Amino acid sequence: MKKIISVILAAALTLGLAACGGKTAASGQEQKTYKIGVIQYATHPSLDNIYKGFLEGLNESGLKEGENITINFQNAQGDKANGDMQAKNMATANVNLIMGIATPAAMSAYSAAKEKEIPVIFSAVSDPLAAGLVKSLEAPGTGCTGTSDVLNLEAQLKMIRAFLKDAKKIGIIYTTSEANSVSQLEQIKKIAPNYGFEIEAVGVTNASEVATAAASVVAKGADCINNFTDNNVVDNLSTVLHEANAAGIPVFGSEVEQVKNGCLASESIDYVELGRETGRMAAKVLTGKADINTLAVKTFSTCTPVYNEKVMKALSLALPSDYSNAEAVKSGS
Amino acid sequence: MSVFFGLLENVLEEGLIYGIMAMGVYITYKILDFPDLSVDGTFPLGACVTAALIASGANPYLACLAAFLCGSAAGAVTGLLHVRLKITDLLSGILTMTAMWSVNLVITNGSAVLPYYNKPTVFTSGFASLFPKGLRLHRIAVIAFLCVLIVKLALDWFLKTKTGLLLRSAGDNPQFLTSLAVDPGKIKIMGLAIGNGCTALAGSVLSQQSESADITSGTGMVVMALASVIIGTTIFKRVKFLKPTTMAVLGAAVYKACLSVAMMLGLPTNYLKLLMAVIFTAALYANNMFSKERRRQNATIKL
Repeated sequence: MKKIISVILAAALTLGLAACGGKTAASGQEQKTYKIGVIQYATHPSLDNIYKGFLEGLNESGLKEGENITINFQNAQGDKANGDMQAKNMATANVNLIMGIATPAAMSAYSAAKEKEIPVIFSAVSDPLAAGLVKSLEAPGTGCTGTSDVLNLEAQLKMIRAFLKDAKKIGIIYTTSEANSVSQLEQIKKIAPNYGFEIEAVGVTNASEVATAAASVVAKGADCINNFTDNNVVDNLSTVLHEANAAGIPVFGSEVEQVKNGCLASESIDYVELGRETGRMAAKVLTGKADINTLAVKTFSTCTPVYNEKVMKALSLALPSDYSNAEAVKSGS
Repeated sequence: MSVFFGLLENVLEEGLIYGIMAMGVYITYKILDFPDLSVDGTFPLGACVTAALIASGANPYLACLAAFLCGSAAGAVTGLLHVRLKITDLLSGILTMTAMWSVNLVITNGSAVLPYYNKPTVFTSGFASLFPKGLRLHRIAVIAFLCVLIVKLALDWFLKTKTGLLLRSAGDNPQFLTSLAVDPGKIKIMGLAIGNGCTALAGSVLSQQSESADITSGTGMVVMALASVIIGTTIFKRVKFLKPTTMAVLGAAVYKACLSVAMMLGLPTNYLKLLMAVIFTAALYANNMFSKERRRQNATIKL
């Protein structure tokens, strides 16, 4: 058995060696080819959209996969240890740029690339300063820049008020370990009184608690539920919707995918566009048109209203006149 | 070729750091015969304690020590639950692991990820800053190796002391301890404390390497540590001059190498956990094969 294991290991290592050899030989062509490593933190509709947009952004800038760039795409599947290893391997393979989608992936990329001074471009990082990725948003100075998505909570509250004229309490379920959610909750608590709302927040620590939390929010008399970009809550959206539907109250989403899955409406960030902009920034850095240390982080907070007509009818609500230009999305599309 | 050696170094770095944990789990699993699930909680505990201390300006070496002590305390809790409250070994581990989630969040002040980029760590300050330029590129591997060496020598020494011998007999033959008028429960608690101390230390070193702590980083650590111990002790069983602690470290390196090779060959990350389970199963099976073989050999000698 020991011999078999060692033979398998030896074979695997040799194969790995052969694979490396093949790659280095290909890079010696006349035309300059760039190697880009991409780490996506998890499979998630918004994050998938960012990667799609990223490729489009590179294409627009004249960088096409298979022609003058090679892309090594890795998905960490929600495990930061995977991301760390993938980032380290990319740095060792001397890629020209690493792109990290979502905060944990960006952090893996940054700590692996720092020493070798490989530029890192991130996307979907809500607070790059708090994550320690940049010194300032205007001039990062760390060999790391990208795009940041910030929920426009003001627009969201305004929209909720337009839909529900008499609502008083907004129920919020958030995961205590998700930094984004905690900071979004603080913000919304500050601005909610301006729109005449009270916030009824319940924290959860894992997926199994979402149902109880949703039930308790409803029991506390919330007139609607509002979601953040909380991965855990969004992944368990059907549980939240089930409780809300039973009580006949609407759920407002934080992005278009949630509205497709049964939320009433949302002021949604266009993640494909976020990815596209990230792709353009990456192209500028690669071709030497911009210095990574002075290229400012771009913050996206412009959002477009979307609503789900079927859900709206089921709740016997009408589209507010201010939102007549809102885009209607169909369930499950 | 240099890329290959670079990748090999990555595997070595990770293998060495996780090796510290593997040595700790060797004590609980192999010596005490205690399947300790609290490891999933004590690994991030070490990382969080380190992050909180270094972020507030503490000495990184001190942070390592603090991580070890906190891990030991958590391990002692598992032991107390098991020995004093008579809760089964699996459950007491699960209880500690669950509690650690909240404890870790308190330590990081509520944030799931605590970065401390560009602060002094064991890899950048103190001893590491004395390295000549050529060695500096490989300092992570060197420092990780030194950490492993220190822990290994300390454990090997400890297992030879009188207390260490008592610890070894606690798993094999608890009645022997009772006959010596020693409380086997106390020894068990001590073993768990040491094991989880090592785990937390591994968490601390790994967090200093990536310069951030993540409270979810403990998921899957039990499986990884057990697999490392079993792979190591199975593959290197016949190599007489290797101590079991060294085998555990080598097991961690082999395990990481398998994952790294699979990733490089383009195996989608979705299948990594399945691959982990397959490697683990292969190691367990090989382990059983060996013991059968040995039993047969013993039998023939008797005949």
